[in-house]
Amino acid sequence: MSSLKFVGQSPERIDGLEKVTGAATYVDDIDFGARLLHAEVVETPYAHALIKSIDTSAAEKVPGVVRVVTGKDFPYRFGLYMQDRFSFPTDRVRFVGEQVAAVVARDAKTAKRAAKLVKVVYQELEPVLDLTKALRDDAVLVHPDLGNYTRCPWFFPQAGTNIAHWRKTRKGDIEKGFKEADVILEDTYTVPRYSHCAIEPHVIVGLYDLSGRLTLWSASQSPYTQRHVLAQALAPLGLSHKDIRVVTPYVGGGFGGKAGVSMEIIGAALVMMVKGQPVKVRWSRAQEFYNTYQRQGVIARIKLGAKKDGTITAIEHSLHWDAGGYVEYGANVVNAVGLSATGPYRIPNVKIDSVCVYTNLPPSGPYRGFGYSEFHFGLESHMTRMAHKLGMDPVDFRRKNAIREGDTLAYGAKMNPCGLQESIDRVAAEIGWGKKEVSKDPNKVIGKGFACFWKAPAMPPNAASAAFLKFNEDGSLNIGVSGMEIGQGYMTVMAQIAAEILMVPIEKIRVELPDTDRNAYEWQTVGSHVTWGCGNAVKAAALDVRAKMFEVVERALGIARDTLYLEDEKVKCRTRADFELPLRDFVINGIQTSHGNFIGGPILGSGVFMPEFTSALSDPETSQGGHPNVHYTVGAAAVTLEIDKQTGKMRVLKATLAVDAGKAINPRLVNGQIVGGIVQGLATVLYEDIRFDLRGKLVNANFTDYKIPTSMDVPLEMVPIIVEVAQPDGPFGARGAAEHTMIPAAAMVANAVEDAVGLRMKTMPITAEKVALELQGIPYEDVKGSYTGFCFAGHPDAYKFHTKSAAKK
Amino acid sequence: MTKRITVTLNNELRSLDVEPSDVLLDILRETLGVKSPKIGCERGDCGACTVLLDGKTVRTCLILAIEADGHEITTLEGLSRSGLTPVQQSLLKHNSFQCGFCAPGMVLSATELLGKNPTPSKDEVKEAISGNLCRCTGYEPIIDAVVAVGKKAGKRA
Amino acid sequence: MAFAHEFDYVKPRTLREVVKTLARYGTRARVLAGGTDLITLIAEDVVTPAVVVDIKGVPGLDKIEFKNGVLAIGALVTFSDLRDSTVVAKRFPVIREMTGWVASVGIRNRATMVGNICSAVPCCDSGPILLVYDAAVLVAGPSGKRKVPLRDWFLGPRKTVLKRGEIATGIVVALPKKKHGACFVKLRRYEGEDLAQASVTVLAYADNHYRISFGSVAPRPIRGEKIETLLESRSLSDELIQQAVRLVPGEIAPITDIRATKEYRMHMVGVMLERGLRTAVSRITGSGPAYGTSVI
Repeated sequence: MSSLKFVGQSPERIDGLEKVTGAATYVDDIDFGARLLHAEVVETPYAHALIKSIDTSAAEKVPGVVRVVTGKDFPYRFGLYMQDRFSFPTDRVRFVGEQVAAVVARDAKTAKRAAKLVKVVYQELEPVLDLTKALRDDAVLVHPDLGNYTRCPWFFPQAGTNIAHWRKTRKGDIEKGFKEADVILEDTYTVPRYSHCAIEPHVIVGLYDLSGRLTLWSASQSPYTQRHVLAQALAPLGLSHKDIRVVTPYVGGGFGGKAGVSMEIIGAALVMMVKGQPVKVRWSRAQEFYNTYQRQGVIARIKLGAKKDGTITAIEHSLHWDAGGYVEYGANVVNAVGLSATGPYRIPNVKIDSVCVYTNLPPSGPYRGFGYSEFHFGLESHMTRMAHKLGMDPVDFRRKNAIREGDTLAYGAKMNPCGLQESIDRVAAEIGWGKKEVSKDPNKVIGKGFACFWKAPAMPPNAASAAFLKFNEDGSLNIGVSGMEIGQGYMTVMAQIAAEILMVPIEKIRVELPDTDRNAYEWQTVGSHVTWGCGNAVKAAALDVRAKMFEVVERALGIARDTLYLEDEKVKCRTRADFELPLRDFVINGIQTSHGNFIGGPILGSGVFMPEFTSALSDPETSQGGHPNVHYTVGAAAVTLEIDKQTGKMRVLKATLAVDAGKAINPRLVNGQIVGGIVQGLATVLYEDIRFDLRGKLVNANFTDYKIPTSMDVPLEMVPIIVEVAQPDGPFGARGAAEHTMIPAAAMVANAVEDAVGLRMKTMPITAEKVALELQGIPYEDVKGSYTGFCFAGHPDAYKFHTKSAAKK
Repeated sequence: MTKRITVTLNNELRSLDVEPSDVLLDILRETLGVKSPKIGCERGDCGACTVLLDGKTVRTCLILAIEADGHEITTLEGLSRSGLTPVQQSLLKHNSFQCGFCAPGMVLSATELLGKNPTPSKDEVKEAISGNLCRCTGYEPIIDAVVAVGKKAGKRA
Repeated sequence: MAFAHEFDYVKPRTLREVVKTLARYGTRARVLAGGTDLITLIAEDVVTPAVVVDIKGVPGLDKIEFKNGVLAIGALVTFSDLRDSTVVAKRFPVIREMTGWVASVGIRNRATMVGNICSAVPCCDSGPILLVYDAAVLVAGPSGKRKVPLRDWFLGPRKTVLKRGEIATGIVVALPKKKHGACFVKLRRYEGEDLAQASVTVLAYADNHYRISFGSVAPRPIRGEKIETLLESRSLSDELIQQAVRLVPGEIAPITDIRATKEYRMHMVGVMLERGLRTAVSRITGSGPAYGTSVI
């Protein structure tokens, strides 16, 4: 392959100057003038209750209040994969903090005061806060109407139950697989809910102008999908896509939480009620915690069988997910896991049941890793334990079973090229696997833990990307795409791809922030797929533009287009060394011929990428037959952990992670994702600790008591490793690598804890407190008090994985 | 009860009316027109609202606007007006920011540190920015950039 | 971040005006110094004052003075001021050690030590430090001035002995005459800023006299008097330390709350006491880890 000039380099990010000077504008920074109205939401204190009446009269009388809106004004369902949500419910509330009304006023203080005057009468219902109870035949139903909900065709809700979706994957013969095993290990693991904690809270400003056009300025990862979901929700009011415009400036962190539509529906609903006046809805930090998507909790049982030489013969993996009051997005997390919960291993006999359960806690949705962090905790813990049971080294056990290109996946399709062996080898070498380290401090011990990981983007089979590209008089160009710069460096990578084709330096390439009126389509910036999907579209647009330039030169000057090439912002000719035409001379003006006329004109182009090979259609009972995932990104990671046996405090001495990015378009940006992901992953296992009380109220909805990493908590040493086994259909071989970097953290820490102090922790988080108490012989579950991290409180071993009651069995 | 206050904001004398219950962060953003201090948590936990008040970093979400009467405030806009400072140049070169939301607070905390301690160690940098939460970067590129400013200054000294 | 609640604001020019205003409004007034506690209480509707009394206009309250062996800390002295003070670093290094674990720089630049003890939250960091020094709070009120020893200051969570119209104007801390070393141990959920899950402060004198206090494991900061009695006049040995640790359950009354279980607090206070004692004693002779090094 000829050497690349821009791809594979690490130039400064093209948005770096804006961010370091404070020029970068986020939604809340945009001024809307004296017209701007402010909204305050009225929230329910109950996890599950019927709404009997809402009296807004006192609130309406407050001077400065423009309108009070309830579900009666806007009774339209919405949802991404299933329409189970409302902007304001009319029938019942389904989690503590859910909005039942909103006050729109001239200023924020008035809105706040008036909101307190809205009187809501509820009839409490028994809340569904326990997975065991949720799945009984006589369970209280969170969505009695489940059978009537519009949904995508590859979701399988069970009407009359709290099961919103059930993904079943069956490959081979599970009974036979376990019979062939010499060693079988079975156990249960739990992972609680987690909160994204992007530093920018959700915020939306909307304007339904007097001509009937709706514009939304949204802190969103998904402008086009927001437009689509809202068009569906607003169709009863006569709106369709052409009537809606979504503009997204810079976003202060997403991590999945700003994908789809969550609180933004409130903004849309309110502005429809106050035509001609813009309304801002900005979430407080507390609302960020309890009324946006959460990463759902899960209890998982793994049964793994292997021959004594270490070959895995079978896996049975049951996952019951606490998915919250609305699962329009969260159900896809459950789905994605149901297809992939084998982990990156070659396993001939597979049985996966991934069950999405409605509960009365906040709605679940996408969070970096999309279910994979959750199931890797159990799986990678289990892999190490299995290795020990077999008398094998945990890394050798993984090497033996590591998936390779061409292996059959759980749902029947084939595995893409991947560098898993290389990742394992490089990580093992970097961490000094096999070398025991000893602390100088007599109170401390050091352990090492290892984990592999994989993930595929979980998208509908027609998740497309598109790009517009146009030149300017000075030879610079604008790329109009709707992928979102949420910090990952997407804009810089798109510029590098275009630069590589067009030989224009990055400094002369602008990548425009999304605007659904002006920029080309992007499904969503999720799944770590935009480098691949949108990168392909940008590459196609650049090739389109290059072809057009050569065609114009040929027409104007008679030089054969297949002899032309681009270099240093000029068109040059392989057969004529003296020919060079600067782009700036013709990309707007055209080329003047000897007769004086101009050929060509503005050079612009477009590109589209659609993964035409994927399909979500498969056998609902086995998941065989489809190709739902475009490709997997794999990797491995390890940690050296020092534990103080008296205090339980853990210090990460070293963390290293290798991810197969296919081709790192910008290695420094990939390293940035590795380091950021390691830190975020470690936080979920070491100290993020979400707590609900027994009535379903989130009690630590702030950074004082939900701890996210500070600069003081960074590991002593972090070593990122980039592996490059090309993705054949990716731009220059690239595939995504951004979510993946937090996936192995929890399991590798759990494995390191066992290595250091002999404790096997099967629940998360693994805090210093838990470790200290366990080392003192006090099981944490027995003393933790009346808090729960998700809809399961109790010992994991006591959970029964049926979906029918004992009576019906 | 409205009160007229005077604040020197980024070297410019500004006069404005505030209510006692107005929070400085809101007044900066909505009345005085500086957008770099951000609303992140409204409890002083995240540092996104940081400005320099009489040269010291403070959390403007925990200060009433009226308390700023007679004082000097510097925000990131004030720092950037005369070109990039050495710490901004270093942060740019090190690709230190991702989503950028924490950047204003980080730059000001780093600026305060370098003003007191021109050649900080890694640990000193970590302590100085420990009140500025960043969810994206894992902090390393920010810490490296600030330490590098000190190293460069140390070489020149 | 609008407040639903409106209030008046005054900024008295003299201490006398402050006292007069507080006497007039009683519980409807709230004193504002650093604001890092008060503003959140107002924002979350926990308190709804009619008037906020800003004391930052009163001269003379922002001084740190060391005279005749007594350190005087004015009501407006911030944690950053304490951290930067050479006399505190030299003479009262454990106070400086404590400030390093209070929040973060941007909070320390505003938050005051006097405000910290006036908030009287059970997890306050200043209380236990001042207890081992037998410090006292200077109070000004309608009936004149008085001095309240720290041991009498806290009545319970968010309650002090301040009466209507009274305000704390400063703290006085006598430098121990004998050679001594000290250690402040703060249990947090991680290395970043955190409120104390538990704290142990040890002041050890060269003549085997000990002062020990505990924070966040009782409704208020407390001294460990049984342990002090046990250790009195005895030099530390492994056996003696274990005896002291065994007395911990009788000294403290931790609860299980959102930040920690009582079992963890009970266990950790024992560990922190042991390490605190060893460290404080080693610092008497200038050995041991530098002040500011966490021993847990």
